[in-house]
Amino acid sequence: MTVLVLTCEEDLTADMVVAKLHDLGVPLVRLDPADLPGRVDLSADYGSNGFHGFLKTNERMVSLSSLRSVWVRRPGTPGTRAEEQSTWLTAEAEQALYGMLTSTRARWMNHPAAAGQARYKPWQLHIAQQSGFVVPATLITSFPAVARQFAATYQDLVVKSVSGKHPGDPPMVLPTTRISPDADFSAVAAGPTLLQQHVRKQADIRLTCVGGNLFAARKEADPDEVDSRFTEHGAWKPAEVPDLVRRSVSLYMTRTQLAYGAFDFAEDRDGTWWFLECNQGGQFGFVQLDTDQPIAEAIAAWLAEEPLD
Amino acid sequence: MRPFALSYARPAVKPAAATPYTYDATRQLNVLPDGRAATSSRAVLLATGTTASTAGSKTHFDD
Repeated sequence: MTVLVLTCEEDLTADMVVAKLHDLGVPLVRLDPADLPGRVDLSADYGSNGFHGFLKTNERMVSLSSLRSVWVRRPGTPGTRAEEQSTWLTAEAEQALYGMLTSTRARWMNHPAAAGQARYKPWQLHIAQQSGFVVPATLITSFPAVARQFAATYQDLVVKSVSGKHPGDPPMVLPTTRISPDADFSAVAAGPTLLQQHVRKQADIRLTCVGGNLFAARKEADPDEVDSRFTEHGAWKPAEVPDLVRRSVSLYMTRTQLAYGAFDFAEDRDGTWWFLECNQGGQFGFVQLDTDQPIAEAIAAWLAEEPLD
Repeated sequence: MRPFALSYARPAVKPAAATPYTYDATRQLNVLPDGRAATSSRAVLLATGTTASTAGSKTHFDD
């Protein structure tokens, strides 16, 4: 039985897991959907004997019936390295590849349907509340007057992207940014805006959940620091997971049907972990490098399990 | 009118230019010029930034 790894070639984080799968002696095929068609080919037939299909990349060929798991790491968009790219070709390639793969018995980290839903940050906040996490007061609105009222109520605020995407052309980044309650909110009318109560934190927490295994890491922070992704100081250290958080993580993962999730929390001066978000495909390499927590091993072990009946 | 959040965007920092590793299709992982797996070098992992928390920002939703 084979593990299918969907990611780009330069993904060193994927290498960390691929190396562990090699150590376990588990067969794997790694490919980038961007190479379909071209360096990746596929075929499937739905005849009287049911569904049969295979994938081919370089000199490797794998039967879809022999897939034990699929790891969606950092895949490129199907069709984007074709000689004649088009949105139509991308749709065709995407439907063919993921439609075939979701027809198999393979276990997914993460299933595309679950991943797509879990990317919605507003839904993350909803599920987080249902799961018992402590969630900062948050507003998503395109009404300037509502934004002004929220600012007047909470005073200390941050603004962040609703989608998690950074603006491009030219390449820009949009860190979570502290804003004044007296800001001019009229431009809120130009697009849905996410405002959140600023949590004055003493540390950032990154909790990586792999199956049922939790790996929490903590990095001390300046209370005035907002987005630690864009600061260089401090190192991540292993942290104990409070029982209440452990229970909420379990509920969250069950409700979202995720096999993998990277949770971000802000730890306040009372030691409370405030839920910020859960990235269904969040990076873990930087945590493992600092803490030596065996996250890649846990992912490899999960992928190596037998497929569903 | 420019969306409110974009008032707080700033130019992205360009990643380091050259990657000191290449993909080995046989081993299905990246290797250094001397043939060792790229992940065997902590310095490479740290220097390339591919494992960093912002590594996915340009092309993916998740960091």
